[in-house]
Amino acid sequence: MASQVISRKNSKKDKFTSFLFVLPYLVLFLGFMFIPLIYGIIISFTDYNLLSSEATFNGFENYARIFDPNSALNSIFFDGLWNTLQFVLYTVPFLVVIGLALALLLNYLPKKITGLYRTIFFIPYAISVSVVSIIFLWMLDTNAGLINNFLMNLGFDSIPWLTKQPFAWVSLAGATVWWTIGFNMIIFINALNEVPEELYEAASIDGAGAWKQLISITLPSIRPAMLFTILMSTIQSFNVYGQPLLMTEGGPGDSTEVLLMGIVNQAFSQREIGTASAMAVLMALIMIIISAVQFKISNKKEKGEA
Amino acid sequence: MKKKRNTALLIIIATILAVVFIIPLLWMFSTAFKTDFEAIAGGLNFIPEEFTWENFTYILSGQGLDVQVFRWMFNSVFSGIVGTLIIVAIDAMAAYGLARLNVPFKKFLFPLFISTLMIPFVITFLPMYLQFSSVNLLNTYAVLILPYTANAFGVFLLYQFFKGFPKELEEAAHLDGANKWQIFTKVVLPSAKPIMWTLAIFSFMTIYNDFLWPLVATNSPEMRTLTTGIAIMQQGSFTSSYGKLMALTTIATLPILIVFLIGQKQLIKGITQSGIK
Repeated sequence: MASQVISRKNSKKDKFTSFLFVLPYLVLFLGFMFIPLIYGIIISFTDYNLLSSEATFNGFENYARIFDPNSALNSIFFDGLWNTLQFVLYTVPFLVVIGLALALLLNYLPKKITGLYRTIFFIPYAISVSVVSIIFLWMLDTNAGLINNFLMNLGFDSIPWLTKQPFAWVSLAGATVWWTIGFNMIIFINALNEVPEELYEAASIDGAGAWKQLISITLPSIRPAMLFTILMSTIQSFNVYGQPLLMTEGGPGDSTEVLLMGIVNQAFSQREIGTASAMAVLMALIMIIISAVQFKISNKKEKGEA
Repeated sequence: MKKKRNTALLIIIATILAVVFIIPLLWMFSTAFKTDFEAIAGGLNFIPEEFTWENFTYILSGQGLDVQVFRWMFNSVFSGIVGTLIIVAIDAMAAYGLARLNVPFKKFLFPLFISTLMIPFVITFLPMYLQFSSVNLLNTYAVLILPYTANAFGVFLLYQFFKGFPKELEEAAHLDGANKWQIFTKVVLPSAKPIMWTLAIFSFMTIYNDFLWPLVATNSPEMRTLTTGIAIMQQGSFTSSYGKLMALTTIATLPILIVFLIGQKQLIKGITQSGIK
């Protein structure tokens, strides 16, 4: 091994020069990942407030208040959590299933034109959340919006896309699927390319139809990609912030007021950094648990069938 | 015969879907060239009845905006480029060190770095805000660049690549008298170009398009990025002036769209190489 050939010369000096390669990243990692992480957990046990310079430890009081049904924090956290979970539920299945469907569709197209279609479905991924939100605000406008104009031309009533439920969820989920589906599609296209052609040939000889091949060959072969897209989409949807802020402003009522909006409000409008941090720690824990469970379940399945 | 008909049917389906997918962007471009009067009147016309550059000249002159749009564009592009350069450079060094060199504690450091891939941003953004605030660095380029550089994604991506790099080339260079740095820059890095481009495009897009962090870390109009500046204009003076909003979003989208279309092939290749299949 090259590294060992080199290291024979002077091990101490070698270790030092090797360490210099990692040092720049390590410094930034400590400053902008590790220390904030520890600091964030510490603040969550204090009454840190942006208005006063002093913060004192108050143990689990912030957490106790979040779990106390009579506290305002309780509804901010759990209503926000519930709205966030709804968003996850309304987006992730579509992001995974439609992502896979698009990949399968492109897989069957003649090779020459696949690239063009892939680019078109992937393009929205390049756009920022504020541009996505504004485009959809405009298309969903009650009076002048493209979609309602189209519906009215067909003789339907115009729909209050952003101010009445369940339309507000439909709008937020629709915009999000349009925006991010391209990434999942690429993951699935890669996975589909890896499935050995012989498996399909053997299945065809056995007389398996397209549907049977999808269920018994394609899906089991692309399980890791499936897990990856479910995990990534769940994490991203859990972090939703810009779309409800800009499209529905948390409404109608506060039905789309997601958890991250509550945390940012608590920190910067109420200036209560301590309680906001406690909510952030809990949110992070929930996200880590959800990812771990998803990972466990799909790993078990894989082992069970192997 | 049946197969041909199926293919034709699939092309038709794909085309309909592609049209649906591209409509929001076309509608944005189309509205940007309409007068406010025509935009608000509604209708389904993608080609403006009265074609006008007025919205663009209005935006580009800086009228109605908190600051010149070029300032926001500069902030986004500058922090995107500098952040990307830092990320690519330090991630490559760290990944190479951890994958191939005799770094002390590397059995501990690598898992530590990678485990933070699981840590959601929500837990670090408040303390990071306080850190920058306490040293008076809010509303600076430091705050718009440094936080992105601690992400372990690049280290992970490049580590995989360097692990699989053939050792013979390094050994030959070593026998020729090259030191570690020379081996890294002259032998290893040139072969890692494609995957480093992937990381660069990903990083640039992330920084250019980010929303929550620049929203809380800046509040002076001069230090807004395009993404946050647009959001604030939409909620402020441009609330219902869709012609002007669409001109603004078009201007904001063109640079990233160009980067994306040029880098798309690399991006796809990189996703493939990264082992996510």
